Parts: sequence; structure tokens; C-alpha cells
Amino acid sequence: MESGFNRVQRILDDMGDSLDVGEVPMEILNNDAVYEEELDRIFGQTWVYIGHESEVPEPGDYRQRTIGEDPFIFVRDEDGEFRVLFNSCRHRGANVCRAEKGNTSHFRCPYHGWTYDNSGDLVGVPQKSAGFDHLDADDHGLHQAPHVDDYKGLVFACIAPEAPSLEEHLGGATWFLDMYFDLIDMEVIGDPHRWEVENDWKTPTENFYGDNYHIPMGHKSAIEAGVGSDTATGEKESELYGIADCDGHAFSFYQIESDEPSYWGHPPEVVETFNHDALTEEQHEVARKSGVTLGTMFPNLSFIFLGGRDDPEKESVGTFLLRKWEPRGAGKMEVVNWIFAPKHASDEYKERAYEVGMSSFSPAGNFEVDDVGIWYGIDDAAGSVFARKNDVHTKFTMGSGDNAAATVVDDWVGPGTAYREGGMTDENQLDFYRTWYETMTDNGGT
Amino acid sequence: MQGETTSSHELRHECEAFLYHTAELLDNRQLSDWHDLVTEDIDYRVPIRTTRERSSDTEFSDSSFHMKEDWGTLKVRTERMSSDFAWSEDPPSRTRRNVSNVRIVDDDGTEVELKNNLLIFRQQGDETEADLLSMERHDTLRRTDDGFKIAERLVLLDHTIIPTNTLSIIL
Ligand code: FES
Ligand SMILES: [Fe+2]
Repeated sequence: MESGFNRVQRILDDMGDSLDVGEVPMEILNNDAVYEEELDRIFGQTWVYIGHESEVPEPGDYRQRTIGEDPFIFVRDEDGEFRVLFNSCRHRGANVCRAEKGNTSHFRCPYHGWTYDNSGDLVGVPQKSAGFDHLDADDHGLHQAPHVDDYKGLVFACIAPEAPSLEEHLGGATWFLDMYFDLIDMEVIGDPHRWEVENDWKTPTENFYGDNYHIPMGHKSAIEAGVGSDTATGEKESELYGIADCDGHAFSFYQIESDEPSYWGHPPEVVETFNHDALTEEQHEVARKSGVTLGTMFPNLSFIFLGGRDDPEKESVGTFLLRKWEPRGAGKMEVVNWIFAPKHASDEYKERAYEVGMSSFSPAGNFEVDDVGIWYGIDDAAGSVFARKNDVHTKFTMGSGDNAAATVVDDWVGPGTAYREGGMTDENQLDFYRTWYETMTDNGGT
Repeated sequence: MQGETTSSHELRHECEAFLYHTAELLDNRQLSDWHDLVTEDIDYRVPIRTTRERSSDTEFSDSSFHMKEDWGTLKVRTERMSSDFAWSEDPPSRTRRNVSNVRIVDDDGTEVELKNNLLIFRQQGDETEADLLSMERHDTLRRTDDGFKIAERLVLLDHTIIPTNTLSIIL
């Protein structure tokens, strides 16, 4: 029997070779040894999304969040600064925060009563002079993620001692994020959906790196029900672009060639509230023509921005969904799904944006249930003895032949490499696995 | 039972029969027959629940939901679920709805407000372990010429993290 270490090494060696021919060893989608390494090398090494500023608007507001499987408190402290505190008392390790969200000036440990303020400083130790007069409170604040930063209101943290800046990590992704979070003042509506799925976190991640190939087949029931976007139903002529080589992140977006502004399906009275000066002319033109847009920031933060409806009888509205595929064991994940709406839109519009987002992508989403329903079972095949003994690989070679429909756009104005007929290439999805491989084999890590 | 008169016993019995019937329609996947039994102005909500401190007023969100439906969106959902391309329900999941603890809250002659508990057993494919979904429902049943119809349903889940891959079923 192969040891865990040898097994990971063998799979990574295989991965190094097979990526060159557009293949990925299927075992990585359900393997305990690989999973343990991922927690360490990926989630313990890269910037990971924590939450949006609008989820903790006031000092003292907090939400519990995880980095990999590790428990943290995302809190806005008294000075308005974001903190990502390790949810474990410095005394004997008990959770100091036990609610999912709330507002508090202090976290008091229920075990022996050590008390921390909301910036994590230790401010109270019962019977300190009698038992802990030697203890330096300044050195015993809650542990915190060493790197916390936000990009346009999106807060990330990194738990490695050394890390590049957040902007460096996001790289070319910022060009796209500006279109959603700088052009538009966004806010999260309510609480995120959370649900447990028997699939590896990498399955939806690879999909949201830009699997635009599955839409006509996978989502046929929703499209036939008349609740797809205007581009999915073919109601509007459009071109699909896929972005690869974008510092490890990837994007896909429809561009609708028309004088009518599109802005992901937001109507003129909402578009009026946008910060049009926030973008360069090139970005602004892409935003103006944008239909459905989706993408993923490495490692596990995906989004889809779409104009759609929950009933063919109703008006289409723009809705933005941000999703984090949380690792919860080999072949298992938890999905966390936030719905955003433009902050300055009317309350009625925000409500409609929420309803359309929820009805499309959520545990009960008309689109999402079919994705998850199809993925169900990949984990069994991936974890099989057969897959290991027979070098079973998944395939990412679409668009690599001589007559490929997907072609590089020579005069692309943004970062990365843009492909026209972006649904006909796997380059963006391959980027996920290339980045995964590089991070897993980066010796700076362990 | 405490304070239950013959007529209130009968009313509860009548409501139970309706809840059992609608549960049976859903378990048998007769989704359009079920949809015929909701009113055109139905308000159907499944709010998101979070773990809160005991002192907080509520654990249920007033702005975020797993489902927030009207007659039209329920029609879209039930029709889509019955399609040959609804992969999450083909092969369909096996469900058994156990309705219990029916409590009449109010009856104004036109509408009956009631609470009931629902435990759904759900399995799919070769699974041997069941996904269990537990909830309380606050329903308003309206008397119509065709008998009761569901005019309001508020589903209060006993879950913060939904313990099943897909909610491609009606609660
Ligand atoms: S473990 Fe927290 S006070 Fe002792
Ligand atoms: Fe999909």
C-alpha cells in the first residue's frame, strides 16, 4: 500500500505531465492525501475570500467565516477596521464566538471568562492578580490572520506568514472586478445560502473558470422554462469571450453588439446610479455591452452576473451572485452563496434582483440544481480503485485542434488572452489546474 | 386534548386531510396537480436561518430566502422539475413527507391559519443514507369552491446549512 506522501507525489508528477496534453488525473477530485495537502498548500498559502464590507457595516458587526476548514471571525472593530480573528481562546482553545453573526464590543470566552475586545486584544482575565499576574495581556490577544486586505469592498485574508499583496495576487482580475465593484456600489442582500454538496470543491471551481460548453445540455430544462438570460435564450445576438492567462484567474462574458446599453441587464434607471467615471474607456465599453458574465478568482471564489428572470411573464433584472466553494473533506464541499444588488437602486428593484438570483443559483436554483445534480457521482468515480489503476484522466483539450472555432482576439484591450467563441476553448479551465499545480508544488509553501 | 371541541376537532381533521393529500401529490411527483391547489395570490417563503445568540429576536432572515415564490414562479419550478432534462430530478429523488403536529391558529370563516411539522425523507440513486429535512410550516388555507387551497406558506427550516445536494423538491 502506497503511503499518503508517495501517493500525492505520484499524482502531482502525473499532473505535471498530463497538463501539457490538456488532461488532469481524476483522482485529485477525491483523494484524502491530496485533500490534506490542499488545505496546507492552497488554503494555507493563498489569499482567500472572507466577506464583503456590507456584511459588517457597523463597528462590532461580525460574521463567522472559514479559511479552508479553519474557523475565523470576520469583524469590523471599533475603529472601523476589518479583522479576521482566529476563533479560539488563547487560554485553552474554546470558541470565543459561537453565533454565525451579530454585533458585539467584546468576545467573552465561556470557559474561564477571558475577554477580548473586537479588535482581538485581551482586556479581561478573571482573577488576574491572584493567578495570572505573570501574564502579559499584550501578547495574548486572539490570533489573527497575518494578512487582511480588501479590494473595492471585497475582504480577503491570507494565513501564510509571507504573502504577496492582495492586488498582486488578484493581478489582472482587478480589471474585471472594477466593472462590478467600482462602477457599481454593490451590497449583499441578507445572509448567504449555505449548503452541503457531495462533490469536490474543484468541480464547481473548474466549471466557473468558464465551462460554457455545458449550458445548452446541462441547463436545457431551465432555458426551456423561459427563465434563461436573453443571451442564453438566443433572444439577443452576442459573442462569448473567454479570458485565460490572467494571473491564475479566469473570466467569460457575452458582448452584445448594439447601441442599446446592456450592463448585465440593468435598466437605465439603475445604470444611472453607477460611477461611470470609475472605469477606463475600454473597460466601460466592455461593461456597456456585457450580457452574462462569470469567472473565478483562484482558489475558490466564483461569480456570475446575469440579466434574467424567475418567470417568463416578468421583466428581466440584473443580479450578481458571489460563491465560495468551501473544502469540507475529499469529495465534499459547502457552498456559500451571496446575492448582491446595486446599493443605490430602489428597494423594489433590489428585491427583484434578489428573487431572480435566488431562483437561478442557490440550493433551490433552477440552474444550480441541474449543475449539482449532474456533478453528483463524480466523487465516486474519482475515488475509485479503477481510476487509480487505469490512469483515468479528465479532458480539457477543446479548441486545441487545427480547425478550432475559438480564436485569440489580437486587439483585446484587457488583461490576459481573450478568445472569441469562448465557449469552444478549455484554456481558461486549464488555467485553474495549472495554477492549482503550481501552488501545490511551490516549495515556498510547506 | 386540551380545549378542543367537536367542531375544532373536525376542522383540524379536515385540514390534516388536505395536508396529507398535498404531501401525497408531491411524493408521487404529481407537481401540476399540486400547483392547482395553490391560490393565484399565494405567498410562499423559505427564509434563510442563521445560528444566533439566544437573546436575538429571530434566527430567520427577513430579506434572504431559499425560496420566495408566487403562483407564476411556482408554475415555472413545477413545470421545469417535470421536464425530461431536469437532471437533478431524473432519475427522481425518492421522498416521503411526514406531516404532523397540526395546530389550528385561527379560522375567520374564509381562511384557516395553522402550523404543522414536516419531516422529509429523501434519497437518490444508490444512496443508503437518507437526507432528512425538518421544518415547521405556517400555512394559511383558503376555502374555495374547489375546497381548500394554500394561500400562504412560511417554511421555518431546522437547518442553517442545507443538508442535501439540491432543493429540487417542493417543501
Ligand atoms: S479557554 Fe477561554 S478562558 Fe479558558
Ligand atoms: Fe451550470
